[in-house]
Amino acid sequence: MATLTLQGIKKRYGPVETLKGIDLDLEDGEFLVLLGSSGCGKSTLLNIIAGLIEPSDGDVLIDGQSIVRVHPKNRNIAMVFQSYALYPNMTVARNLGFGLEMRGVAKADRQRAIEKVAAVLQIDHLLDRKPAALSGGQRQRVAIGRAMVRDPKVFLFDEPLSNLDAKLRVEMRTELKKLHQRLGTTIVYVTHDQIEAMTLASRIAIMRDGVVQQFAAPQEIYERPANLYVAEFIGSPGMNFIHGELRRQDGRIGILSKTGAAGASFLPLAAANLAAADAAIEARIDRPVILGIRPETVTLANSSTAAAPHLASFEAQVEVLEPTGADTLGTLRLGADQVTARLRPGDLQQAGGTARFAADMSRASLFDPETGLRIS
Amino acid sequence: MERQNPWLSFFVHLCALLLALFLLTPILWMLIMSVSTTNDLTTIPLRWMPRHIDFHRYVELLTVAENSAGEAFLASMRNSLAVATMATLGALLVAIPGAWSVSRSPGRQRLALYAVVATYMLPPVALVVPLYFALAALGALNSVFSLAVVYLSILAPFTTWLLKSSFDNIPQEIELAAMIDGARLDQIWRRITLPLAGPALATGGLFAFLLAWDEFFYALLFTADQRAKTLPVAIADLAGGRVSDYGLIATAGVLAAVPPVLIGFFLQKSLIAGLTTGGVKG
Ligand SMILES: Nc1ncnc2c1ncn2[C@@H]1O[C@H](COP(=O)(O)OP(=O)(O)OP(=O)(O)O)[C@@H](O)[C@H]1O
Ligand SMILES: [Mg+2]
Repeated sequence: MATLTLQGIKKRYGPVETLKGIDLDLEDGEFLVLLGSSGCGKSTLLNIIAGLIEPSDGDVLIDGQSIVRVHPKNRNIAMVFQSYALYPNMTVARNLGFGLEMRGVAKADRQRAIEKVAAVLQIDHLLDRKPAALSGGQRQRVAIGRAMVRDPKVFLFDEPLSNLDAKLRVEMRTELKKLHQRLGTTIVYVTHDQIEAMTLASRIAIMRDGVVQQFAAPQEIYERPANLYVAEFIGSPGMNFIHGELRRQDGRIGILSKTGAAGASFLPLAAANLAAADAAIEARIDRPVILGIRPETVTLANSSTAAAPHLASFEAQVEVLEPTGADTLGTLRLGADQVTARLRPGDLQQAGGTARFAADMSRASLFDPETGLRIS
Repeated sequence: MERQNPWLSFFVHLCALLLALFLLTPILWMLIMSVSTTNDLTTIPLRWMPRHIDFHRYVELLTVAENSAGEAFLASMRNSLAVATMATLGALLVAIPGAWSVSRSPGRQRLALYAVVATYMLPPVALVVPLYFALAALGALNSVFSLAVVYLSILAPFTTWLLKSSFDNIPQEIELAAMIDGARLDQIWRRITLPLAGPALATGGLFAFLLAWDEFFYALLFTADQRAKTLPVAIADLAGGRVSDYGLIATAGVLAAVPPVLIGFFLQKSLIAGLTTGGVKG
């Protein structure tokens, strides 16, 4: 149980700055997910928290106390390594119990803790084996178990599920979430899987090239991405980007899409968007902007959608329909851009024609094409 | 398994057989000599197979009597064991921390090891005179201990080198994991690093022991009598008398081979490699 604070963490390797000033502040019991593509510095940051790498600059605080001068073994942190890092010369049981043994826990208590964790992770039949005789997924579970048996202040996980098959991955994800709900320990979890990030995190920090792009709750990141990179990174299928200009037409402000085969469309902004950043929007009139809309906010237009003020309707050509079972993904052409819509099955019978759609502009994002930053 | 050409297979077996013959014949001949009578060994043409099996030389070398060959031989055996054991243990004691720190520290520090290993390239002849004067000045000639120290200086770089490559193969993350699990450095070494380096420790130790056991040049120059003479020197003494009993030399050779063979036999199990698999992703 602890708060964790990172203040201006920098890490330089020679001339290369791998981390460029990371500031994060976690409350007690938070589940932080560090999300980013390969090489953005996630593991480096995690290792700095663990004390395995010294930061070039900045401070790490647990419960408000700086720990950068504290030896890793005294930080009371448990870590699951990206590469498992099991002890090959010890049985699974010894691997699990090693941390307790080093902390002088009595043998009987150790035994009980090992058995409990092994049962949760379904590795109780493997306790007498050595790591070499385990499959990748089993090794990964032992690595997770080794962290779980202890009662640390902070858990650090470095892509713990990356080697599991899809089914086990989902199971373990749920198991981790349960674990967190039960223990309430602060967790920092590294992944490049956005589903893991969305499902597990209380807050997500999206990293790119050693800089945090956005640090917010999953829903906030999903609904209000701070910039184009975040918008693109989160969501599957990804957010649609419509390139156009901000215009005032018939007293309403909206985006005029670029002219394509299907002509240009005018999508008026919702009142919600206008209220949020009036001045910022006024300043951009007649200048290029990028409109971001999520696939599930695009629906087939009908008589009721026409009346709703926050829905902008447009005509688009339906290029491809991809049924996934629960819903059907439609690839539409809007102006010069391609738009994916998550439609209900049976909405459209076949691709090729044009149809009218409605986009929920209250859930849309507006970005500056030059800086990539969110306008509103 | 690939399908094999029968001729290729025949050829491979032939080569193996020749190699075995080449390696084993001298040993076989040594064994035969050690149990042949002197007459059989000195007739011309030579008798390859002895008429009687004769163990009297073994008895001679293993009984202690005043001023006998046995007394000299057993004393040298004792000296050799002491020198080789001290030198080997010393070498491992120096090599383990040395090799570990070089293996775990990045880039430039490694130069130190290369420099040390470079001294290994010098021929013993280049070192023997300065060493002799140094030992003489310290009054340390003809001593088992100082011979062990000289050997240690030869063995340490080589064992360090060997152990370093073995430590390099142990992923550092395993040690880091142990550190986060709360282990002190000595606990990490005892519980994880050294067990994982077991095969290399055994190999390094065995090679160091053999090197010290067989060393002749320094031993010949730095020792003078039974207090410090080692086996190779003692065996050479057997050949240096007016009448050489070749059978006796062979017997001494057989007996001298026993301790290393025994050690190798007991280390056999730990010489099997592959202990480090399974700790990290493949
Ligand atoms: N010891 C080092 N010396 C120099 N550069 C390093 C070192 N360690 C890491 N880097 C660099 O720092 C960057 C971040 O590495 P890091 O391991 O933190 O990435 P990551 O986000 O964990 O990626 P992945 O998802 O692939 O694990 C990489 O570009 C890497 O090359
Ligand atoms: Mg990583």
